[in-house]
Amino acid sequence: MRRLVTTFFIVSLAVFVLLLPPAKAAPKNDGFPQGGSLNYGEYGRPATLDPITSNDMISLRISELIFNGLVGIDEKQEIVPDLAERWDISPDNLTYTFYLRHDVTWHPKEGEEPRPFTADDVIFTYNIMKHPQTITPLKVRYEFIDSVVKLDDYTVQFNLKRPILNGLAKFTFKIIPQHGPENKEFLTREDPFVHHPIGTGPYMLKNVTADGEVILVANENYYRGRPHLDKFVARPFADQNIMSQALMFNAIDMIVLVNPRDIPQIQGDKRLVLQPYNALSYSFFGYNVRNPLLADKRVRQAITYAVNRQEMLDSFFNGQGTIISGPFAPGSWAYNLDVEPLPFDPQKAVSLLEEAGFSKGDDGIMQKDGKKLSLILKVPIEKESEGVKRVVLGFQNYLNKIGVEIKGEFKEWQAWKEDVFLKHDFDVVFASWVFDDSADITSLFHSSEIGPWRNNFGGYSNPEIDSLIVESKLTLDHEKRRTIYRKLHALLAEECPYTFLWTLTNYAAYHHKLRHVAIHPYKFFSFSDRWYIPEQEQR
Amino acid sequence: MTGMKQYAQASLMVTDPSSRSMWKQAAAIDLLYVGYGLFIVSLVVLSYILGSLNFLPHNPQEMDLSLLMAPPGVAGHLLGTDFMGRDILSRLIVGIQAYFVPGLLAIAIAITLGTVFGVLAGYRGGGVETAVLYLGNLVDSFPRLVLILLVIAAFKPDIYYIMIIVGLTNVPNVLSQVKGKINFLKQKNFIEAAVALGLKNRVIIFKHILWYNCRSLFIIQATLGMAEVILIETSLSYLGFGVQEPIPSWGNMVQSGANYLLQGKFWLSTTPALAILFTILGFHLLGDGLNNILEGRRST
Amino acid sequence: MRLSFVRPVAQQLFRELALTALLLLGVSFVVFLVLYFSPGDPFSLLLEGQMVTAETQQQLRMALGVPEHWYSQYLFWLGNMVQGNFGTSIRSGLPVLPEIIRVGINTLYLTVGSMVVTLLIAVPIALSPAQRGETPLNWPFTMFAYLVSALPVFWLGYVFIYIFIHQFKLFPILYGYSSERELTPLFFLLPILVLGVGNGTISEVVRHLRDEMSRVLQEDYVRTARAKGASAWRHAFKEGFLIPITEIVAAKIPFILGGAVVVEQVFNWPGMGRLAWQAALDRDYPVIMGIAVVAALFVRFGTLTQRVVYVMVNPRASQERER
Repeated sequence: MRRLVTTFFIVSLAVFVLLLPPAKAAPKNDGFPQGGSLNYGEYGRPATLDPITSNDMISLRISELIFNGLVGIDEKQEIVPDLAERWDISPDNLTYTFYLRHDVTWHPKEGEEPRPFTADDVIFTYNIMKHPQTITPLKVRYEFIDSVVKLDDYTVQFNLKRPILNGLAKFTFKIIPQHGPENKEFLTREDPFVHHPIGTGPYMLKNVTADGEVILVANENYYRGRPHLDKFVARPFADQNIMSQALMFNAIDMIVLVNPRDIPQIQGDKRLVLQPYNALSYSFFGYNVRNPLLADKRVRQAITYAVNRQEMLDSFFNGQGTIISGPFAPGSWAYNLDVEPLPFDPQKAVSLLEEAGFSKGDDGIMQKDGKKLSLILKVPIEKESEGVKRVVLGFQNYLNKIGVEIKGEFKEWQAWKEDVFLKHDFDVVFASWVFDDSADITSLFHSSEIGPWRNNFGGYSNPEIDSLIVESKLTLDHEKRRTIYRKLHALLAEECPYTFLWTLTNYAAYHHKLRHVAIHPYKFFSFSDRWYIPEQEQR
Repeated sequence: MTGMKQYAQASLMVTDPSSRSMWKQAAAIDLLYVGYGLFIVSLVVLSYILGSLNFLPHNPQEMDLSLLMAPPGVAGHLLGTDFMGRDILSRLIVGIQAYFVPGLLAIAIAITLGTVFGVLAGYRGGGVETAVLYLGNLVDSFPRLVLILLVIAAFKPDIYYIMIIVGLTNVPNVLSQVKGKINFLKQKNFIEAAVALGLKNRVIIFKHILWYNCRSLFIIQATLGMAEVILIETSLSYLGFGVQEPIPSWGNMVQSGANYLLQGKFWLSTTPALAILFTILGFHLLGDGLNNILEGRRST
Repeated sequence: MRLSFVRPVAQQLFRELALTALLLLGVSFVVFLVLYFSPGDPFSLLLEGQMVTAETQQQLRMALGVPEHWYSQYLFWLGNMVQGNFGTSIRSGLPVLPEIIRVGINTLYLTVGSMVVTLLIAVPIALSPAQRGETPLNWPFTMFAYLVSALPVFWLGYVFIYIFIHQFKLFPILYGYSSERELTPLFFLLPILVLGVGNGTISEVVRHLRDEMSRVLQEDYVRTARAKGASAWRHAFKEGFLIPITEIVAAKIPFILGGAVVVEQVFNWPGMGRLAWQAALDRDYPVIMGIAVVAALFVRFGTLTQRVVYVMVNPRASQERER
C-alpha cells in the first residue's frame, strides 16, 4: 500500500474533537532512562525535510520529529496545546487567538545561540505558506484564513473568512523559524532550508549522509524535556523485501509500515513487536459518472454487489481491516453503523444490470444498445505495490464473472494524476483517501468541486447531497450535524459514487528493546519523545 | 580484361557459402548447439501456438483466492499457483506471447535499419558514411536502460515503445557488421569486379552482398535479439515498467514471485526464471552454432 | 617509450575528443527532443494538489526561468550545461550535477568492480581452449558462461541474498549496520559479484576473446615466432588479448550501466541507476537529462580509452581500421 506513502491525498474527515481546557505540559521526569538510538527503515527517500514544500509521507514523518504546531493531537485523537499554551475562540467562531509559550527556543544554528520562538515566526510561516510562489500542498487547506495579526510577541490572532467545522484542528500546521529560510518572501525547493531545516521539535537534524540517511539527534532544550532517545536515523530502502530482511537481521530497528506479506514472518520472530495502528484512510473504487454507462446508479450498485470485499481483505491483507459502507472512519461519530455494506451477491448484480437494460452479448460481455460494458480502470504504477495489484486483479476477475470487462491500465504516477484529476480520462480508479484531523467531505462529493485538479474527480453531482453538505456546514450544533452526516452516509452508500472498500489496519514492526511506543495514525512520530530503550539494551 | 572477369566469377563463387558441404564439415559440438537451439525455438513456437489456441491445462486468468501460492502438484496445478491463485504452467505457456510480436518487431527494426544504413555507408562511403557512423555512435552512447527509462518517463511504459528502443539500439551493431562485410568485399575487389561484369547495383547489393554474405549475420542477430528482448523485459518488470498484469510475461512472473523468494517459496519465481534461462541459452547457442557453421569457423 | 607512439596517439586522442563533443551535443539534443515531445508537463509535479490555472503555471515557469520557445529552451539548457550547471532537480531542489557526481562515483565502483569480476570469470574460460584446444574439461565452463549470461539479474540478486545472507549468514545485510562491523566492507562484494556474474556479458566476452585469440594465433607473425621457438603467447598478447579485451569492455559499458540500475535497487546501492529510476517515476527531467549526458560521457570515455590503447599497440592502425 504505497498509495499512502507517495500520495498526500489528505481529505478531511469529520473527527469531532471536544475542546478540552488547556492543560499544562507534563515535565519529562517520568523516570525512564535516556540514551540509545533508533534506526528505522523507509521505503524511498524524502524529497525535502521542511513541512511546507514536502508532499510525501516520509517527509511528513520526519517533520513530525523536527517541528511543532500551535496545537497538537494526543493519543486519544484530542487537540492539546503545543506551541500555544492556550487559546480563545470568539463566540462567532471567526477569531482564534493563540497565547504562545514563552519557554520555546529554536534548534541552534551552527555556532549560534538558540533563538526564542515568538509570534513573528507564526506570522512568517503563514505568510510563506500563502505566498503565490511558494509551492506547497498546504495552501488550499488554509484558504479559509483571512488574516493574521500579531497582538504582542507571544500572542497571535487569526481571523477567519467563515466559521470552520472543527477549526482548531487546522492549526496543527508546523511552524518554521523566521531566521530559517534564506528567502524571506517565499519558499522553494532550492532554498537550503528545505534540506537543513531547524525547528522546535524533540529532535534536531544533524546531517543527511551521502547514502540518503537522515540523522537526527535529541534536542536538549526541548520544551517538554529532552526526549529519551539520543538519536533517530531514517534509512532509505529501494526494495521492500530487503527492508524486511534488514529488520529481521537487526540492521534496522523499526519499519513504520509493514508489507502485509511479511506479517507472518515478523510475527514468528520473538525479538520483534508487531504493533497495529489505525491507518485513518480508506480505499475505494471511484467512478467517472461522465461516462453515460456509469451515470446509471444501478450499474455502480451492480459493480459493488459483484465484488467480494471480505474475500479480498482476507486473502490479500490477512483480514487486517474493516469493510466500510460510507466515506467516514468506522468508529467515528459520523459513521452510520445502521448502513450495512452491500453484500457480495453476483446474482443481484446481474439482475440490476438487466434492469438497467443490459443483456449478455455473444462474447459474454454485457451490452446495451450495442455498447459494451467495458470500463478502463486506471491505476498508478508503483514498484512493489503488491496489495494494489492484487486488488485490481481481483476486481477484474469478479467483474468478469458478471460480464463486465475491466481493462486495467497501469500508469506512471504523474501521468495517472493528470488523467484522473485534470483530463478526467478514466472510467474507474482505485485509490485511497487519507483522513486528516478536521472537517468535511465537501471536496469529494459536492458539485462545486468538479473541475481540474479538484477532488470530485468523478464529476459526481447530486442536488440532494449538495444541499445536505451545505446544511451541515451551516449548523454548528453537533447533534444536528451528526444527523445530517448519518443521512449523507446512507445516501452515498445507496448512490455508490464510489465502491467503498475498507480501512486497513497498518502495522509497525520494531525491536522489542524499544518501549512505550505510541503511534499516531499517519504522522507516526508524534509521541516519539516518550519512547525509550532500557539501559541494558542500549548498545 | 578477361582475367578480371574470370577473377570476378571466381570470387562470386567463393562468396556464395550455400554449399551443402559446410554442414558436413561442421563440428559435432556446433551441431549440438544448433540442435538444442532449434529444440528451444520449436518449444517457443509450440507454446505460442498452444497459447493462441487456448489449449492450456487451466485458464491463465482464473483466480482461486482460496489457493494462493500453492506448491507444485497441488489440486492439479502442475507447477503450483501464483500470488493470485492462478495456474503457473498455463501462465508460462501464455507468457511467451508477451515477447513474440514485440520481439520480432525489435529484430525487424534492428535488421532493416541496420542494413539500410550499413549498405549506404559501405557502398557510398564519403559524407554519407561519416553521417551514418555519427548516428551509430550517437545511439551507442546511450546506455539502453537509461534511454528506456527516459522514454518511459516521457511517454508511457508500453512494451512496444520499449521494443522500438531495443530495436533502435541494436541498429549500430547490425550496421557496422554489414558495413564490415562490404568493406571486406571491397578490399578483395569483389564489388569493382561485379560492376565491371555489368551487374546492376541492385543485384549486387541484394543478391551478392545481402543474401550471400549477410544472411548468417541476420540469423544470428535475430536469435540474440530475441534473447535480449526477454532479459530486458524482465529487468523492466522488476522496476515496475514491464508488461503489466494481468497479461502474463515471464518477467512479471519472476518479479511477483521473487517477493516470496526470501520466505522460502521458491517455485513462484524459479519456474519462470528457469524458463527464461533455458530459452535464452537456446537462442544464444543457436546463434553461436550457426555462426560457427556458416562462417566456417572451427573447421581447422 | 618510443617517440613514434606520441604523435598518432595524440592525433587519435584529439579526433576522439572532438567526436565525443559532437556526440554529447547530439545526445543532449535527443534527450531534449524526447522530453519536449512528451505529453506531460514536468512542472505539474510542482503544482501537485493545487488548483492550477494557466496563469499560475506561467508564473512558475517565470520563477524557474524557463524560456518560451523550444529552441531557446534547448540553447538555454545547453548553455548552462556547458558551464557545468545542469539545473536543479524538480523533486528535491538540489543542483543536479553535484548529485549525479556523488552517486555516479558509487556507480563507478559498482560497474568497474563488476567488470573485473566478469573478466576474472570470462578470461580463463576463453583462453584455455585457445591455448590448448577444446578439451572435455573446458566445455562445462563454456556452458557455465552461457548459463550465467542468461539469468535475470535481479532474481540472481535475490537468490544470492537468500543463500549468502539468509542461509549461511556470510555477509551483513547492509553496509554500516551490522553488529560485526569489521565485516561490513564485505557487503560491497555481494552486489559487485551479482552484477559481475549477472550482467549478461560473460558469454560475449568469452566468445569475442576466443575468436580473436584463435584468429591471431593463426597469423603469420605468430606462427613465425612459434617456429622460431619463441612464446607464441607473448607475441599474440597485444593483438589477441589486449585489443579484444578493451574492445569488448568499451562496447559493454552501456550494458553494465543498465544492469547497475537493477542491482542498485536490489542492494540499496546509492548510485546513478536508482536516481534514474526515481527521476523516471517523478518525470524529474533535469535529473534524467543530466544522467543521460553523464552516462554518455561514461560510455564515450570507454570508447576513447579503447581507441587510445588500440593506437598505442599498433600506431599504424590509426589511419586504417575505422569502426
